[in-house]
Amino acid sequence: MTVAAQNASRPPGRFLLPSAGRRPYAVHRRQTSLLWSAALLLFASNLIAGSLEDGIVAFNEGRYSTALLLLRRAVDEGRGRPAHIFLALTEAATNDCKSALPSLLPEARNATDQLSLLAGLAAARCQSADGDATSALATLDALKQHFAKNADVLYLSAEIEMTAFNNTTLAMFKDVPSSYRTHQLSAEILEVQGRFADAVSEYRKAIVLNPRAPDLHYRMGRAILLGSHSPEALSQAAGAFTAELQINPEDSGCYFQLAQVAEVQGHGGEAIAQYEKALQLSPAFVNAMIGLAKIYLQQNETARALPLLEKAATLQPDNEAAHYALLKAYRNSGNMEQAKEQKAILDRLEKPPDSEFSDFLKKLGDKTPQQ
Amino acid sequence: MKTCIVLALVCAASALVSDQPTQSMPRFENIAGASGIHDVFPNGGVTSKKYILETTGSGIAFIDYDNDGLLDLFVLSGDGGTNRMYHNEGHDRFRDVTDQLGLRSSGWAQGVCAGDYDNDGYTDIFVTYWGRNRLYRNIAGTRFEDVTKAAHLSEDRTRYNTGCAFVDVDLDGHADLFVANYLRFDPATNPLPAANPYCYYRGIPVSCGPRGLPFDRNLLYRNNGDGTFTDISESSGVAEPFGHYSLGVLTGDFNGDGLPDIYVACDQTPSLLYLNKGHGKFEETAVLSGVAFDDNGKAMSGMGVAAGDYNHTGLLSIFRTNFSDEYETFYRNRGDGNFDEVTLTVGLGQNTRYVGWGAGFFDFDNDGWKDLLLVNGHAFPEVDSLGIDIHYKDRAILYQNLGGDRFKDITLRAGPGLLEPHSSRGAAFGDIENDGSMEIAINNQNETPSLLKNTNPVAGHWLALKLIGTRSNRSALGARVRVTVAGRTELDEVRSGGSYLSQNDLRLHFGLGPSRFADRIEIAWPSGTRQVLTHQTGDTTLTVREP
Repeated sequence: MTVAAQNASRPPGRFLLPSAGRRPYAVHRRQTSLLWSAALLLFASNLIAGSLEDGIVAFNEGRYSTALLLLRRAVDEGRGRPAHIFLALTEAATNDCKSALPSLLPEARNATDQLSLLAGLAAARCQSADGDATSALATLDALKQHFAKNADVLYLSAEIEMTAFNNTTLAMFKDVPSSYRTHQLSAEILEVQGRFADAVSEYRKAIVLNPRAPDLHYRMGRAILLGSHSPEALSQAAGAFTAELQINPEDSGCYFQLAQVAEVQGHGGEAIAQYEKALQLSPAFVNAMIGLAKIYLQQNETARALPLLEKAATLQPDNEAAHYALLKAYRNSGNMEQAKEQKAILDRLEKPPDSEFSDFLKKLGDKTPQQ
Repeated sequence: MKTCIVLALVCAASALVSDQPTQSMPRFENIAGASGIHDVFPNGGVTSKKYILETTGSGIAFIDYDNDGLLDLFVLSGDGGTNRMYHNEGHDRFRDVTDQLGLRSSGWAQGVCAGDYDNDGYTDIFVTYWGRNRLYRNIAGTRFEDVTKAAHLSEDRTRYNTGCAFVDVDLDGHADLFVANYLRFDPATNPLPAANPYCYYRGIPVSCGPRGLPFDRNLLYRNNGDGTFTDISESSGVAEPFGHYSLGVLTGDFNGDGLPDIYVACDQTPSLLYLNKGHGKFEETAVLSGVAFDDNGKAMSGMGVAAGDYNHTGLLSIFRTNFSDEYETFYRNRGDGNFDEVTLTVGLGQNTRYVGWGAGFFDFDNDGWKDLLLVNGHAFPEVDSLGIDIHYKDRAILYQNLGGDRFKDITLRAGPGLLEPHSSRGAAFGDIENDGSMEIAINNQNETPSLLKNTNPVAGHWLALKLIGTRSNRSALGARVRVTVAGRTELDEVRSGGSYLSQNDLRLHFGLGPSRFADRIEIAWPSGTRQVLTHQTGDTTLTVREP
């Protein structure tokens, strides 16, 4: 069953985030009330009681028709940039993006203060609501020049990219449901969801439709391994990687995976041979260097492991696995000072496990807006 | 359709183990009910858990409290129940003697360890709690007395104590006491499921932690020899490591210097190895020793621990159980206190969907090679709502030792008892009938315990050793025994605690294979005394008193 079929039979999750028909700004206004408060404070000192101040208050309270009247008057009274921007924000909030964008976009392109940030966010929302995700993301990229770590900017970027992903995915399921690509995409989505058996099933369907398509066997092998390390799974995965090599004979990743499978199967000699092939094809393949070196370490061949690990740590100075293996290599060769140096590097690199948080982020997309 | 799937699994399993002799296949059955053990031991929520305290479960112990030669069973309980002692009546029958012995209790019991701390010849019990620990002095095998306060082991605040072990760290003939601490937990302030990213598992809200919860420090108490203990956590260096969620405790002389060391399995943080430097001082060396992480330098979710001379090198290697989506970790001892992580190489990397807890090396077929069993069960009951192949209740795993090089998962052919799904935590290993075939007691969350017995005949011969210290501590904790049979020598060590918050039989059990005799038995007593026995007849329990 494809993801499309599942979506047809139950409420949509990750792949349907309705945006059509929503006011581009109204929901966001509530989410950024703190920003509004900041903006109000920012301008409070310059405000003269009258149409501009009352207009901003009306906007902040969601009384858009009143805000429009007051802010248009403020513009007419020559109240300058704040009047123009808040009028545009109100227009955006009332779905009048056509009127709003000419005022919002110049602010977004040179956003350096809170007001231009708000204008930029509203502009991106307008562009996204108009189905122009490319322009919306370009607007957000411009905002990131000064607001790279702003939660609203990042959130909106994620939402727009997710919407674009959803739209394209739905188009695939609607327009080319029996394409091998649709099954491939279903499989990749299922992989993200941790449903590896279902993913493997989708990869198999894709392979039946296009047995020569590159990467399908490789991805299937990887999904098999993600689901299980049982002896049967190991054999099936090895078969998939071998099949991929028939199509991609110089795919070092396949040799790396075959080496890992051989290692779990207890075939150290075969694992060494496969790692070496991977390194012949990709001499800078750090994980293959580490994998090969770790086998040498287990076999007490420290002298063969050391140069591999030193090279790996040079190529990827932040690779914890490389430094940990290097620590053990130095230790085994009696070089405790260098082992302790590696431990110091490892202490610096060591971070809390991020599995829960990664999963959390991955699963955020599963939630419907109502949740 | 279901039958087809089951058949396919069985056939696949048959193919996997077809190179094993049929007569050595065990058949483990759960005889708990038939043995008179019917009590359910509560441990937090059944279908969901609000706090991490409900997930860590409790230990279990095999202790011969009345010296009648038969192992009794002590089972810990979470809140809402009582710990219970079951007296071994012989012939696989047990009788609840909790009230008779004065062991009725309440609260969140976590771990248990045994040892004769006052050297009076009767094995005493220490029980750790979320709350305050309890030391039960064994009064001549007739009752237990809570002597926590008199022994100066009262704690000044609520602590989340977990694994424990009596261990004579200074070799003065008195068993000292190590207590691991998991974290600081207060239900009044603890975040609730979904409160932050550490309160999710695969997208579903679950109890929070351990990440995000405050750390605590481990404890070491010196036995003063007069019935009291002194907290030497700071001066010994045990309290120095910070930033570890400590659970299972394993003692052993891992670097062969004659001093007992302490390994602690830690959850989501690097595990700890306290190397004993003598004079009551410890140095934590797990990272450099190679037992803190997995082979990629990543901290894992360590729970239970076991040590065994699986390859007859005379060295204790370490096995640690971990979380699902991780593999268990197996550290081969290099002989100098350093280890190599060889999990994949020895065939223990295939089961990654289980959350492992209690574990132990034991020789189920008495072929002279220690096999390995671990019990499983996910931390979160909510995982079942995901419909994936990770379950709250799951089966155990039995690995057969194939001659010291590899282990093979033979669970599917090793009897129905192993395949029963439970959310298991503590596991203890011991021979309840003194017939040379080892039983396994398992504490299952919110269920009756399991008592797994191998009902198939065991081909190999065996020898059990009960050691009695005189100059050494009376329980002979830390004594190292080398048994040589037909040119091969196996090492084991008398140990308090271990597995997951549990206590195994204090007697040592050796498989002799086809030989009816042990050619040589060498005992290194903690006092430094060396004792050698030769040509000892097998298939019996040999009691050895320190000369």
